[in-house]
Amino acid sequence: MKSTLKLTLLASVVAVTTAAQAEVNIVSWGGAYTASQQKAYQATYKDPDSINFINYNGGLGEVRTQVESGNVTWDIVDVLPHEARVGCDEGLFEELDRSAFAPAPDGTAMDDDIMVEVPNDCVVPQIFWSYVPFYQEGTFKGEQPTTIADFFNVKKFPGKRGIHTWPNALIEMALLADGVAVKDVYKVMSTDAGIDRAFKMLDKIKDHAVFWSSGAKPLELVQSGEVAMSLAYNGRIGAAVLSEGAKFVTVWDGQVLEEEWLVMVKGAPNRDAAMDFLVHASTTESQAEQAKYINYGPMRSSAFEVMKKGEPWFHNGKTIMEHMPNRPEVMARSVVANPEWWADYGDSIGERYTAWMGQ
Amino acid sequence: MSAAPETVSGPLITADGIPLKESLQKSLRRSKIRAALLVAPPLLFLIFLFVIPIGNMLTRSVDDKLINQVLPNTFEAFESWDKVSEPDESMFEAIYQDLKAADKTDIGKASVRMNYAKPGWRSLIKRTARRIKKMEPPYKEAFLKADDRWTDNEYWLSLGIMKDKRTLGYYLNAVDRTYDFDKNVIHVDEERKVYNLLWWRTIQVSIIVTLACLLLAYPVAYLLATLPMRIANLLMICVLMPFWTSLLVRIVAWMIMLQQNGVVNDTLVAAGILSDENRLAMMYNFNGTVIVMTQILLPFMILPIFSVMKTIPPSYMKAAQNLGATPTLAFIRVYMPQTIPGIGAGCILVFIVAIGYYITPELVGGKDGRLIGNMVAYHMQRSLNWGLAAAMGTILLIVILIFYWIYDKIIGIDNMKMG
Repeated sequence: MKSTLKLTLLASVVAVTTAAQAEVNIVSWGGAYTASQQKAYQATYKDPDSINFINYNGGLGEVRTQVESGNVTWDIVDVLPHEARVGCDEGLFEELDRSAFAPAPDGTAMDDDIMVEVPNDCVVPQIFWSYVPFYQEGTFKGEQPTTIADFFNVKKFPGKRGIHTWPNALIEMALLADGVAVKDVYKVMSTDAGIDRAFKMLDKIKDHAVFWSSGAKPLELVQSGEVAMSLAYNGRIGAAVLSEGAKFVTVWDGQVLEEEWLVMVKGAPNRDAAMDFLVHASTTESQAEQAKYINYGPMRSSAFEVMKKGEPWFHNGKTIMEHMPNRPEVMARSVVANPEWWADYGDSIGERYTAWMGQ
Repeated sequence: MSAAPETVSGPLITADGIPLKESLQKSLRRSKIRAALLVAPPLLFLIFLFVIPIGNMLTRSVDDKLINQVLPNTFEAFESWDKVSEPDESMFEAIYQDLKAADKTDIGKASVRMNYAKPGWRSLIKRTARRIKKMEPPYKEAFLKADDRWTDNEYWLSLGIMKDKRTLGYYLNAVDRTYDFDKNVIHVDEERKVYNLLWWRTIQVSIIVTLACLLLAYPVAYLLATLPMRIANLLMICVLMPFWTSLLVRIVAWMIMLQQNGVVNDTLVAAGILSDENRLAMMYNFNGTVIVMTQILLPFMILPIFSVMKTIPPSYMKAAQNLGATPTLAFIRVYMPQTIPGIGAGCILVFIVAIGYYITPELVGGKDGRLIGNMVAYHMQRSLNWGLAAAMGTILLIVILIFYWIYDKIIGIDNMKMG
């Protein structure tokens, strides 16, 4: 009797561990974004059941804890540009064999197919997203806001402004609004005078600012009329417009584009399976497929071509190109965020911004 | 009587032939082991979940070893430099040797650390390290080609802040101070001062919340202790129900109540007490944090006070009144002093929980209701500056110990009663 019990216990333990081993844990941001990854990558994968999505709130705290304690349970993490660099430098991510990834249909190697310079060998391309101003149709009578300077001009376009609680993108936007050319933004930001200039511009909306920290909040603020204009993640605005028919107008001027990468955690428990999934998730087809479900721009140029030919590309039959943050027409007036700059100065600007908010 | 000398002469022997002394020792040892085993779980628990993590936190907050291990030659060369002239070839050669020999990951970690001393180090080291393999003497020229910031003496001077294996830099950072290049403590720029304000606000919120809890809890506890059992039980459920409800549910409920277009504001406007433009700002600011934290921490105050009040015999009050005191005087002179152990326990409990509170300020604090706990979380999760987070944690611990000490001096810790 006792031995039967032992055997059953042993068997169940074995069953549990093997089941756990077969599963690749991929950690992402949840919501519509994770849903788009599930539809585009997981559902099209040869073994969808082996992929398990987990939600997190960003930051590398958890990853560093796992790596330092040697108890790694996450395989793949979806990270921001800053984290993609710091994590790779600190050895929190695996360096990946670049030749394993699929080239574009025309034979271009993956790293050459990506629209920005690939920062290191840890990263696998995901998407571009952006911080962008928007308002609700009918908010302003007569002339409508069309430039980033309008966002900072509360005299011409009265009403409160929704901005986020950290400085990224706001410094860039403030300088653009002050007349700095797109290509000079980081040059100006690298001087103390440039930072002062940005904060002087931010001062203009300070008394009208409503601060948000979660991505859903700006939509709520604009919808309810609590603010006249707000910054938001472009994907959130697009989702409301494309899927829910919201009457939001995006001001495609002075947006700040950010990268999003997939990385493998150092010592990932299912290294080979995770690598196989990463290769699948980064193909031209998978990248294009994701844009059917969310209006974040694929990183691979070849995926962009596929979408252009396939319009209307969005899953419910709407066209998607005019919602893509990295489409050529808006790129001339967009800043691609420089994560190297933010890795250097992010902490000190962050402190100054926090102090500015609290004054 | 005649058998007695016989037993005394030899060693005492137990029934199974072992000398009594040995047998006694054996059984003593056995019970000692048993006692040790019984104590082991809580002891291990304490060591693993208390002593080791706190020790780790303390070490992290002052540790600056890594950088000295990665750049030994550089620091040696730095010592012999006059700190005024432009760095010469020997210094570049030293840093070249270090970067060449070091592990890539260690360079990454070191550069992050150096960036705290002077923003810009990270990319400077990274860009240089990428080309280090192809570099040839003269190194100065090669370094300048990799990045022209190498001529900026400020980078070199900032090495002086990091040359020791231990640093108080994180603690200084946590109180808005920093080292200058000669390791003198100076204030940070006015526009970057964040933390002192947060420390004051945290202590302020904790004290306000503690006092508010005390004011609200005392009458409730008194009712609980004095009302007839049937009603008191019902009241107790009213106290415990929110206590058992999920924290997030309670916070969201408060958001619905207190926001600009929330229940309270709507009612006040509808009743004509407020005009529509003058709606009260009770959420996403300092007020919101205080209101919600008070409600959440209230049971921690009610329960200890209640359990102490429960033990006070009603006859004392009657005796005081018999001896001529008015009810009020009897309450103040006889009843209240006896509840002090409960008040003390409640206040210490609420204060300690409040000072490290994180989730409520994060959700309802807005821009001026966030506390130091939020900064600790930020540095743990986002900026990855664990040294700074550890330093803040340690300061929090010290603040709590100081308040504990004050409490001990004024009221005496032996007086505290949790129940």
